[in-house]
Amino acid sequence: MPRTVNAVDFWRGFALVTIFINHIPGIIYGWITHRNISFSDSAELFVFLAGWSLRHVVGPTDDPRPLQHVIYRVGGRAITIYAAHMTIVMLAIAMLAISARLSENPLLLEWHNAAAVFQDPARAHIGLVALSYQLGYFDILPLYVVLMLTAAPLVAILHRTAPGLLLPLSALIYLSALVFKITVPTWPTQGQWFFNPLCWQFVFVLGFSMSRERGPGGWVRANIGLVRLVAAPIVVVGAVAVLMRWWPDPTKVPEPKLLFIAGKTFVTPLRLGHFLAVVAVFSAVFPWLVRGIPGIVGFLSMLGRNSLNVFCAGSLLSLAAQIFHFVFGRGVVIDTLLVVAGILIMGATAWLSEWRERARS
Amino acid sequence: MAVGMARAGAFIAARSMLAFVFAIFLPVGGVMPVLAQGTPGIAPVPKACAVPNGAIATDNTLPNVAKALKERKKIVILAMGTGSVISRGAGGTPFDVVEKLIEETFRGVDVEIVNRGVSGELAADAFERIKMEVALSGADLVLWQLGMADAMARLPVDEFKSTLDGAITWLQEHKVDVILVGLRYAKGLARDPHYQSVRKAIGDVGAHRKVMRIGRYAAEETLAKIRQNEGVELSDVEATDASYACMAEYLARAIAAGLFVRQSPAGGASPKKAP
Repeated sequence: MPRTVNAVDFWRGFALVTIFINHIPGIIYGWITHRNISFSDSAELFVFLAGWSLRHVVGPTDDPRPLQHVIYRVGGRAITIYAAHMTIVMLAIAMLAISARLSENPLLLEWHNAAAVFQDPARAHIGLVALSYQLGYFDILPLYVVLMLTAAPLVAILHRTAPGLLLPLSALIYLSALVFKITVPTWPTQGQWFFNPLCWQFVFVLGFSMSRERGPGGWVRANIGLVRLVAAPIVVVGAVAVLMRWWPDPTKVPEPKLLFIAGKTFVTPLRLGHFLAVVAVFSAVFPWLVRGIPGIVGFLSMLGRNSLNVFCAGSLLSLAAQIFHFVFGRGVVIDTLLVVAGILIMGATAWLSEWRERARS
Repeated sequence: MAVGMARAGAFIAARSMLAFVFAIFLPVGGVMPVLAQGTPGIAPVPKACAVPNGAIATDNTLPNVAKALKERKKIVILAMGTGSVISRGAGGTPFDVVEKLIEETFRGVDVEIVNRGVSGELAADAFERIKMEVALSGADLVLWQLGMADAMARLPVDEFKSTLDGAITWLQEHKVDVILVGLRYAKGLARDPHYQSVRKAIGDVGAHRKVMRIGRYAAEETLAKIRQNEGVELSDVEATDASYACMAEYLARAIAAGLFVRQSPAGGASPKKAP
């Protein structure tokens, strides 16, 4: 039986839908996603919730699961995510190739960083399997794989042996990457990982820490009223700043600049702080949503329960929508059809995944 | 990033030599052949990239790069945009070629290219990152390949123009030069009105803001016609390879020419057609 509706699955489903929309550049419905009123977007939410969900693998604070069990689980999950990533990347490449052929437009072969596959296939395929080469918009699952292979086991070990060290150590790595501008290079294409794992691991660890009954998570739970009181003005000021484009001029801020500017690659403190404030405030609305719009909550929760399959479907649907835009143009009708069809297919993917589970059991 | 040697003497010698060569060339043609026939002091464009009687880059100057060159003997170039940067054999990436050619032309100068391009990124998103990357890298020059993602997404051209105009204004206010690298040529897109509008928008905004543009589309279109006349047919992969190789050659010469026009006593060559 699928899990009952809960906040984590709901928000994950919400993140999946907004990622799908945000990954169709220029779509009319782009304005409804929260990145228009926030320094952060759904990527932070998705990674944060991945860290949060790790608590189910690690087990309760008083009775943690055996370390071996945890490592096997996260290792297995990493392999599953890796296989899913490889599958959708190959399908994406094929979609670009087919579109290029049908439209007689070779420029599609270099769209979204795909050129290396066709220009330098030998090295590109090494890069693809090594995750050092990523297509545009297909770059978040490699981050997940790295987090599952490195951060998750470390989280499990530290949580058992020195729980007080977990968050400070993660913060230290994060701040070091910001201060020293440490990036992870890509290969064979020249560049850097769009999601810097050294920084994004902090979002993952924060998600895990906040999920715990003790430590920082416990403190936040015990003082959630106060936290929301502090967070609410941050959310509002951040929203106004984004709407009014009150960005600090990056050239005018002091060194180390990454501590003071908004950047997604490094998930800078400005983004992260605002995101945490958004989480604190909006975590309050879930019970109201369950009562007010149970159908939508149920649907999004179903997406969230099957996040990997739905994410994969959403990624391919976003690319298909982009190709559709290029070939047939854009407009209210087309964009509405694309978004509705995309969300329905994501729903069908989730439903089918659960149907298979039920059939198996 | 290659680390160049700060050899001031050699640099001055190179400048003098360039000025001398320029002085010889100028009376002959009257117009400095910025790229098509080779920029003085820098090797001619390889035959495969040479476009007869065509200006590939506009002749706008690069005052902030020139200043950096004079004061620091070092240029930091930020590469942004949608192109894929792949190492192509021994020559390296297109940016390696640019770096090498500039360092060879201006001896003693250290060129650092920071590549922060994201393929498929819209100009509006790139603009936000440009601000951050300029701050982080301290760039003197931004090489911006743009337009393709916006053209593919069929974004309104006015929106694109407005973004581009804002970005150039911001860069100029922050004393950073910019070279716009326009859209690629593809036969199937020659009659695509939106694609052509984006292409025109880059030219229009660039001309209005007086920034250097590399007319990649026009160059590739001409080269395609030459190849067609010669009965040479390139595969899609070969055409893309040739496109990036030529872009690097054009860029290096455009930068050198942009500096040279500024430094030469006869600075201010005749205007070239905008791409």
